[in-house]
Amino acid sequence: MKHTHFLLMAAVGMLVVPLSLRAADMKVIANPSVSASAVSADDLKDVFLENKDSLAGSHVDPVLEKGGPAHEAFLKVLGKSDAALQTYYRSLVFSGKGSMPKALASDAEVAAWVAKTKGAVGYVSADASAPGTKVLEVK
Amino acid sequence: MGAKVSGTTVWQLRSAVRPDHPHTEIIEEFFMKGFRTHLILAALVCTASLTARAQEFRVFNRSVQVHGSLSQGFAYSNDNNFLTMKTSDGSPAFTDGALNLSTSITDKFHVAAQAYDRKVGQLDDFRPQLDFAYGDYRFVSWFGVRAGQVKTPLGLYNDTQDADFLHTWALLPQGVYPLDLRSTMLSHTGVDIYGRIPLKKAGKLAYAAYAGERSFDNRGGYYIFSSDLGMPITSASGRVTGWDLRWTTPLKGLTLGSSWIDMTQNRDGSYSQAMFPPHTAYKATSAPERTTVGYGDFQRGKWDFAGEYRAEDYWLSILTPSFGNSVFLWNGSNESWFLAGSVHAMKRLSLGVYHSNFHVDVPADPANKATNHIYDEVATARLDLNRFWTVKAEEHFMDGYGDLYSAHGFYERSNPNGFKPRTDMLMLRTSFFF
Repeated sequence: MKHTHFLLMAAVGMLVVPLSLRAADMKVIANPSVSASAVSADDLKDVFLENKDSLAGSHVDPVLEKGGPAHEAFLKVLGKSDAALQTYYRSLVFSGKGSMPKALASDAEVAAWVAKTKGAVGYVSADASAPGTKVLEVK
Repeated sequence: MGAKVSGTTVWQLRSAVRPDHPHTEIIEEFFMKGFRTHLILAALVCTASLTARAQEFRVFNRSVQVHGSLSQGFAYSNDNNFLTMKTSDGSPAFTDGALNLSTSITDKFHVAAQAYDRKVGQLDDFRPQLDFAYGDYRFVSWFGVRAGQVKTPLGLYNDTQDADFLHTWALLPQGVYPLDLRSTMLSHTGVDIYGRIPLKKAGKLAYAAYAGERSFDNRGGYYIFSSDLGMPITSASGRVTGWDLRWTTPLKGLTLGSSWIDMTQNRDGSYSQAMFPPHTAYKATSAPERTTVGYGDFQRGKWDFAGEYRAEDYWLSILTPSFGNSVFLWNGSNESWFLAGSVHAMKRLSLGVYHSNFHVDVPADPANKATNHIYDEVATARLDLNRFWTVKAEEHFMDGYGDLYSAHGFYERSNPNGFKPRTDMLMLRTSFFF
């Protein structure tokens, strides 16, 4: 019986921990020109999968990190592995239905790009400094 | 019996138009000469994959993205030669590549163009084609317009079928995506409307509808097998209309879709042999030429399962004005489907299997059971050497060779001694992309 409880708790833990990691490991940032202050997870996914190019009436352009903890956490929001995401973008490019979003190497580079680029939306580690940007609450 | 001309069956005509092929030696010589070229191309793929990256430059203060791909294949089969290559000796005559440019003119207006080039056996011969070139204005996420030469949205992979690095397979299921006939439904020049509609808890529905002029490739399989049958094509044109609906269901990872395409064909040519004197002109029109498609894809974790079904209703009326306007009515209707499963087994390794099924409704020679189908069972391993370079090894076990009036990989010109009912083939392919 104890063994069963332990397995159940472990299973629940495996489900809960990754969810909490998503919120704890990264934050979504936007250029101040983006009028939205919050975004639903669904809309965020659509923006980064290039199905949607505006939030609350403002044009948006996604920017990715090439790797790292924030990127790993964000992949969970998108529900894709990094390889699957790259394949997805390439399928847009080679069918002519989209382009490859900008991908930068670090939190600092993403934060700097978002701060200076009108409509840019990106993600950085939760504790990263991102001056000149606004944080979008993910609902 | 599917077709008759003045009481003569099509399979009888076929025997008349198929003397022993006189070009065998020329073809062999060609492949020997081509071997070195393909080895050099394979080396280029390897070198490029280690050095290149996606490029970006600025024009009029707009960022222009440049992407490209290059792939080299090698095929080795036991008896029959496949895709106009001399695969029974092992053939590297399988090279293709694309170069792609795109930019955003404004926040809403995007333009893109792609050139594509290939040499697969006797198909195409390194003559670059415009793959697509169009402007795309997205008013809102649920409504946009594309105009120009646009890749036709049809089934799961029609618009990405040339980009092998997007797929686990070295060859997509040939029953549904015949590499030799790719141009017949690949793109159209006209106007598309498209969008993506949220359905709240029911998921999302992406739609596309289009109308325009269809594409033909005068160095593709359609022209080649018509020529082999003694009916070379001098010109072909036609219109196309169609739609595609793709439903992202509420079940995570499950996408279901349906497509429909209706085409016309106006074709002119002249007989080179067989039932009419050489140079006798003919005209052919299709009525109807219509394909209905259903498809699904389920991705969960490392697993991906996909399937697609196509039914093509295809009748061709062939008119020979100088012989009393007798009409040769050919029924080329067929069905095809595939089921595929793949797993991302390790970080860089994917494994997969599929079954591809092509069935001719009314074969030219009903007595020969190998002509009414091509069944292809396939096992693949894909290795991603890095983010820009893949290598694939794939084994095909094919049963049947299909009807000679619909090609699908098996051509008389590359099998002058006739066909065997089964074909086993090893396919190796490496691709570089940036």
